[in-house]
Amino acid sequence: MSENTTTPSGQPLGISHRPSPCEELFTRFKAANKPAFIGYLPYGFPTPQLSLDAFRTLVENGADIVEIGLPYSDPVMDGPVIQAASQIALNAGESISNVFKAVETVANAGGVPLIMSYWNLIYHYGVERFATDFANAGGAGLITPDLIPDEAGEWIEASDRHGLDRIFLVSPDSTDERLRVVAQNARGFVYAAARMGVTGERATLNASPEKLVARTRAAGAENVCVGIGVSTAEQGHTVGQYADGVIVGSALVHTLLDDSGQAKNADEGLKALAAKAAELAEGIHNARQ
Amino acid sequence: MSVLDELVAGAMEDQQTREREVPLDELKAMAAAAPAPIDAKRWFRSTSAVPVIAEIKRASPSKGHLIDIDDPAALAREYERGGASAISVLTEGRRFLGSLADLDAVRTAVSIPVLRKDFITNDYQIWEARAHGADIILLIVAALGDEQLEHLLSLTHELGMTALVETHTREEINRAIAAGARVIGINARNLKNLRVDVNKYSELADDLPEDVIKVAESGVFGAVEVEDYARAGADAVLVGEGVATASDPQLAVERLVKAGKRVKASEETPLSEHHGPYYGQFGGRYVPEALISALDELERVYDDAKKDPQFHKELARLNKQYVGRPSPLTQAPRFAQRLKERTGVDARVFLKREDLNHTGAHKINNAIGQALLVKRMGKTRVIAETGAGQHGVATATVCAMMGLKCRIYMGQIDARRQALNVARMRMLGAEVVEVTLGDRILKDAINEALRDWVTNVETTHYLLGTVAGPHPFPEMVRDFQKVIGEEAKEQLQDWYGIDHPDAICACVGGGSNAIGIMNAFLDDPRVNLYGYEAGGHGPQSGEHAIRFAPGTGQLGMFQGTKSYLLENAEGQTLDTYSISAGLDYASVGPEHAWLKDIGRVNYSWATDDEAMSAFKDMCETEGIIPAIESSHAIAGAYKAALDLKDKGYEHPVMIINISGRGDKDMNTAGKWFGYLTDEQAAALEANGAQGNNA
Repeated sequence: MSENTTTPSGQPLGISHRPSPCEELFTRFKAANKPAFIGYLPYGFPTPQLSLDAFRTLVENGADIVEIGLPYSDPVMDGPVIQAASQIALNAGESISNVFKAVETVANAGGVPLIMSYWNLIYHYGVERFATDFANAGGAGLITPDLIPDEAGEWIEASDRHGLDRIFLVSPDSTDERLRVVAQNARGFVYAAARMGVTGERATLNASPEKLVARTRAAGAENVCVGIGVSTAEQGHTVGQYADGVIVGSALVHTLLDDSGQAKNADEGLKALAAKAAELAEGIHNARQ
Repeated sequence: MSVLDELVAGAMEDQQTREREVPLDELKAMAAAAPAPIDAKRWFRSTSAVPVIAEIKRASPSKGHLIDIDDPAALAREYERGGASAISVLTEGRRFLGSLADLDAVRTAVSIPVLRKDFITNDYQIWEARAHGADIILLIVAALGDEQLEHLLSLTHELGMTALVETHTREEINRAIAAGARVIGINARNLKNLRVDVNKYSELADDLPEDVIKVAESGVFGAVEVEDYARAGADAVLVGEGVATASDPQLAVERLVKAGKRVKASEETPLSEHHGPYYGQFGGRYVPEALISALDELERVYDDAKKDPQFHKELARLNKQYVGRPSPLTQAPRFAQRLKERTGVDARVFLKREDLNHTGAHKINNAIGQALLVKRMGKTRVIAETGAGQHGVATATVCAMMGLKCRIYMGQIDARRQALNVARMRMLGAEVVEVTLGDRILKDAINEALRDWVTNVETTHYLLGTVAGPHPFPEMVRDFQKVIGEEAKEQLQDWYGIDHPDAICACVGGGSNAIGIMNAFLDDPRVNLYGYEAGGHGPQSGEHAIRFAPGTGQLGMFQGTKSYLLENAEGQTLDTYSISAGLDYASVGPEHAWLKDIGRVNYSWATDDEAMSAFKDMCETEGIIPAIESSHAIAGAYKAALDLKDKGYEHPVMIINISGRGDKDMNTAGKWFGYLTDEQAAALEANGAQGNNA
C-alpha cells in the first residue's frame, strides 16, 4: 500500500473533503450563464504519444472538461467509431498505467481531466490503486458506463477517500426511482444519455434529452450534462440551453479517422480536431447568449 | 504511559470531577427514573441482516479532528433512518471530543439501542450510563483486570444493559468469555498494512461459543469491509468515521445495511434455491443504466410467472408436447465396461439424453421458457447470440412457433464454421447477422446483441442462452434448465430403483446444462459433482477456455456479471480456443464461480484430444453420437471415476449429461479421425456444410 492511502499517523485515509472539481467548475460556469464543453477521446489513439497531443489540442481549442477514454476489448456502450478507435489504440499498445500521463497532460493544459472506463479495467488494475494514482496525477473523476451505483460499493468508498467525482449515467427510459438512486450517489454531475443506444453521431436529436435533464434535476442532481449522439455545433448550441454541459465523443474521434476507418496522419488529424473542437466550443459556450 | 493508559487516567479524573457534583446515590435515583433499557442483544444478531452500530464520532487520538458535529441528535436520526440497529456515542471529552450531553441528545432522538462508548473502569460510570439512558456500554479488556472485568460485567447485566467487550487478541477474547461476556467486539486490523484482515478475524472469531455475539470493530469503513467481515462470521459491525464524516450519513448507513443483507441472504438459503443477483461475491448487474429498466421488468415478469400455475402448466405442456420431454435416462453398460478397462472402476453409468430434445440440445428448455415471458411482457421482437448455433437454432425455433420476430447475432468466424446452422436459422425465419467486429466469435456476438438491446429495449427481449450475463439471467436460465436434474433424479429412482447417483458429470461453457443437471443434487452431499471446461490444447498452451484452473481465470466483470474471466495483464478479454464452439467463452456463469469457491463442485477440464477420444468411445460403445461439447463431460467421466476410486467408492453410480447431439460436428469428427478424404471434406465445405473445426 502506498503512503497516499494512509494519514501521517499511519491510519487509513478517511473521507476526503476536497471539493468536487466538476462542481467547482459548474458553479463558475453557472455564474457566467454558460454551459461547459466536455470532449471525449480514447487514450492511446492513434498512438499513446499522439493521443497526448490530441488531448492538449482539445483543451487548447475550448474543451473545459476532457473525458479520457480507456480502450476496452468489449465496449458494449460504444458504436462503430469509438470501437474502431479503441481497437487502433489497443493494437498500438495502449496501457492503463500510462493513462495517467494523459490525465497530467489535460490538467497541465488547464482542462478538468475525467477518465471514462468500463469497470473491469479499473477492477483489474485495483480500485484503490487506481484512485490513488488517478488522484496523484491530478484526476477529477471517473465516468463508468457499465457500473451502476448499486454495484459501485468499492468505487464509492475509494472515490470518497480520494475526493474523486463519480459520474454515473441515466437514460431516457430510467424510472424516477432510478434517477433518484443515480442522483444521490453521483458526485460532480450526472451524465444523461440523449437517446437509447450506443455512442455515435446523429443528424438529429429528438426532444427527450431536455425532458430527461429536467427529470434528473427533479430527482436531486445539481448538474446534468448531455451526451451520446451530440455531434454538431448546432446540436451543442441547442442542448447547451438546458444542460450544464454538452458531451461530444464520436464526432471528435471521427476527425482523427480517415474514410476507411484508419488513423489519419498526425498533422492532418490534429488540424481537423482543432477546427472541430473550436467550432463545438463556440456553439456550446454561446448557447445562452 | 501508553495511549490507552492515558485515556483511562483522563476518563477517571473526569469521572471524579463529575462525582463531586452528582454523587452516586443521586445517579442511582436517576437510573431508576430512566426509561427501561432495551435488550440490545436481540438487535445484534439477525438471520437476514448484519446489524450496523453507527457511531457519533468527532475525533480520535490517532487521526485527530475528523468533523464538527453540532447536532448529534440530528445525525443519530439520520443513522436510524438509514437502518442502523444501534447508535454508539463517544462520551470521552479529551481526545474524542464527546460528552454526556451528546448521549442525552441522542437518547431522546432515537428509539433504537444507544451505546455509551468511554473508558469505563468503575461502577460509577456504569450507573452514569444507565442514568443517561444508555442500553449498552463498552468495556475494553486491555484496560481491565480479570476481577474488575467480571465485576463490571455483572453490574452491567444487573442493570439490564448489554456490555460490548472489546478485544484485540485471542488471549483477550478468552479472558472476556471467562468473565461472562456475551457480546464481544473483535478488532482485526492488520497492523502492517492497516487493512481489515479477514483471515485474522476468522482466526479470532471462529471457535467462539455459539451464543456469543461477535461484533466487528474498527476498520469498518464501507460496504466492502462489511461484506468481508460478514463473510468472516461477524454478527454485527460498528462503524465510526465511514458514516460520521460522510456527506450523506443516512445513505452511507443504507449502503452498509444493504451489503450485510446481501451476504446474509446468500448464507441462509439452501444451495439449490439461491436467488440472484448475487452468488457469494459473484453475479450482479454490471451493465449500462439504460438496461436496468428492462432487467427490472424481466425480473418482475419472471417473478410473477413463477407464482402463476398457468405459466407452469403451459411450460410443462410445451416441454412434453413440443420438446419431447422428459428426455430419457439411458443406461450405458458397454461404455461402463470401457470405463472399467481404462480406470479399473466398476461403475454403473447413465446418460441424461438432452440430445433427444427437439433441436437436438438442452438449449430449447431455456428458449421456450423465455419466449413465454416475452409474450407476458408484450414484447414482439427477440434477439439472441449464438456460438455453435445451437442456442440460435433453439431461439429461431421457438420464435417461429410463437410468431415472434427474431434476429440472431453470430460472430463471422462462427457463422462460417457453422454454415449449416445459419441456414437452419434462416429456414426458421430468423434474420442472422454476422458480427464482423472484435474477434468475430461468441463474445462479440453478445456485445452486438447488448448494443441492439440498449437501443431497442422497449420492444425487444434479449433471449440470453446461458447462465451468465446480468441478473436475472443466471437465475432464470438455471430455473428453466433445472428440469434436467429433476427428471434424472426421478428416473434413476423410478426406472432403475437407485436412490441417488454418486456422481454427476457435465461440461461447462457458460454453464447452463451443468447447472441444469446439478441443481437438484446441490443439497445432497452424497452426490459428487464434476464440471469439465474446454481444455483446448491444454492449460499451458494459452489455447483453451479453462477459467477455473490455477493460473487461468481471474476475478472480473464481463458482459454483465462478476465471475472468473480469462483476461490479460491489462484486464482486456483474452481470446479463447476450443474444438467445441459451445464451450469457447472467456467467462463462466456466476453461480458456477461461487460453487467452485465454496468447493461444492469439482471443476476440471478435458482437452480437445480427450474430448474427441471420448466422443469416439461413446459412438462405438452405445451407438450415441454426442455433441463435442458433451464429449467433454464424457471425457471427464474417466477422471471422475478415478477421483471416486480415491474416495473409496467401489461401484459408483454415475450420470453423464449428454447436453446435445453430434450431427452438427460430423465434419470436424470426420476430419479428426480421418474418415473423410480430402475431396470429401472439400466437397462438404463447398456445400457450405462445415463442422465447427476452428
